[in-house]
Amino acid sequence: MSDLRIINIEKQYPQTKQQKDPAFSLQPVALTIKEGEFFSLLGPSGCGKTTLLKLIAGLIPADNGEIWVGDDHLTAVAPEARRFAMVFQQSLLFPHMTVEDNVAFGLKMQKISKRERLADAQSMLEHVGLGGYGSRFPDELSGGQQQRVALARALVAKPRLLLMDEPFSALDPSLREEMRELLRSVQKEFHVTVLFVTHDREEAFYLSDRIGVMSEGRLLQIGKPKEIYEQPVNVEVASFLGLKNIIRGTVANNHFISNDQSFEFPIQSSIQTSQSVLIIRPETIRPVSENMVEILGCVYFKGVIHHKIFSHGYYSVKVRIGEHLLICNFTSQEAEKMNPEQPIDLMINSEDMRFVNG
Amino acid sequence: MRSPRRLLNSILFLLLFIVIGLPFVPLILSSVSFGWQWPNVLPDSFSFRAWEYVLADSSGTWSAVGTSLLVAFIVTAVNLLLAVPAANALVRNSFRGKWLMEAIIFAPIVIPPFVAVMGIHLTFLRLGLTETILGVVLAHISPTLPYMVRAIMISYNTLSVDWENQARMLGAGPISRFVHVVLPHLLPGIAAGASLSILISLSQYLITFIIGSGQVVTLPILLFPFISGGDPAIASAFSLLYAGIAVLTLLGMDLALKKYYQNKKAATAKG
Repeated sequence: MSDLRIINIEKQYPQTKQQKDPAFSLQPVALTIKEGEFFSLLGPSGCGKTTLLKLIAGLIPADNGEIWVGDDHLTAVAPEARRFAMVFQQSLLFPHMTVEDNVAFGLKMQKISKRERLADAQSMLEHVGLGGYGSRFPDELSGGQQQRVALARALVAKPRLLLMDEPFSALDPSLREEMRELLRSVQKEFHVTVLFVTHDREEAFYLSDRIGVMSEGRLLQIGKPKEIYEQPVNVEVASFLGLKNIIRGTVANNHFISNDQSFEFPIQSSIQTSQSVLIIRPETIRPVSENMVEILGCVYFKGVIHHKIFSHGYYSVKVRIGEHLLICNFTSQEAEKMNPEQPIDLMINSEDMRFVNG
Repeated sequence: MRSPRRLLNSILFLLLFIVIGLPFVPLILSSVSFGWQWPNVLPDSFSFRAWEYVLADSSGTWSAVGTSLLVAFIVTAVNLLLAVPAANALVRNSFRGKWLMEAIIFAPIVIPPFVAVMGIHLTFLRLGLTETILGVVLAHISPTLPYMVRAIMISYNTLSVDWENQARMLGAGPISRFVHVVLPHLLPGIAAGASLSILISLSQYLITFIIGSGQVVTLPILLFPFISGGDPAIASAFSLLYAGIAVLTLLGMDLALKKYYQNKKAATAKG
């Protein structure tokens, strides 16, 4: 058992005279990351995710809180003695050393003999697909290759925890996907615990076992990708995850009424009056065809098609209902005959609707 | 396209020669002349008398060269030890009164060293540091340190803390970080600062004269009496020797640096 436990870690930055905006602070974070787990911190830039990462690494001192790995209390341990590894946004390969020496650097610091560490570096380079590149210098490699070397360098010393700070954000999209694939397979192979920081939703969902969504110095929600996507705890999480169908209203007498009164339907009694914001995922909305039988537990709406846009194998259709523009994802077949200004009937399974606090 | 460039190159080369090379011609002529008087364009007769005097053991030239180089190298080594932490602190941190610190360190560039040395002299007299090499070394630090700090600060400016953080995360302690990450990055700055420090130390006359009180004999101390009215032939020979020593020292440093980089490349290419 060597889970990473972060207990109420906290950091406050003093407000300086030059900055007009209020001081940034990271609210106490409590988090346990299991051994071998891939955990992502997802949030917009400036939300404090990199600060949290550096606090865990020990590169900046925390005001409060503790960090444990298994039974080792690491709060007061220097970063170089924590046996963590980190991959930064830039590859930060030492320019005066060859790729091989770069990869072997961590082992050199552990005083491992030259022959042994170069052999380890060689095999790690093969794992990241750079077998014959050992004797080159970093400036002879492309950006993607450099980041592969950085990954190899971080993994070679078998760290207890691998911290990654937006490692692929400087790469172009196709390369990013390739690196994602590589990281996934390497992580599974070496069973390394990863704490990954990103602002890219797709990246986080593709890679992670669990995701923590952060905003403005607070950890808003922790859960499996499916959980946080289907059951966001609040509007902030939902909108950061790209869920744009957010409808504000009131809950009373087991009924939901939207503020513009265009939505009104009965809801389950378990929903509290405070949960007055409705979030609808675009792919849960289905068009109703003429000869369809009404299904129990579904909510039906009437609307007018505003416009449709083709996107990666499906149509994104905007439907106007009252004051709201509902975004729906339809298959090409479904959307084929839809035209702007046409009336349309829609249905949603009431289980797919998510009510959160306003 | 090519010929104007070549023309420009040759004009620049000529200009360089006139400014730097030409003054050496009368210097060489003067050093081998015997009674060269106005209005003669060339000396009447030639003799190696001046060179014989300068290169003879009795003139004390070689011990002066030794003292000059000893002082210059110790000064540079001390400067290095002082300048690296100073540059680190000035670039990396912001603290109250930072501008004052910088002003004090860089003051010797603006204020004539003579002013400071008069005060230092009195203190050194009390401490018994006058007439010693140690005293001269200490006095040479004030005019040379600013250049060293300046050069290393520029190197530090281009070294992001991320590099050290990266080394830290790979398990490197403070010493390893400095040796494997910081020092290789600073090396060009150190080389530039050291060259300046050596040159400036070699060319100090007044400070050496006052603090050394004529007992610490460096090349400029030997040279000066001949320039200010003694024997122009001997002064010329000394000047040439002096210039030669300075150029050789710089070339030596340059070679050592190139060798270091080559070894680095060769070692990594082999392994």
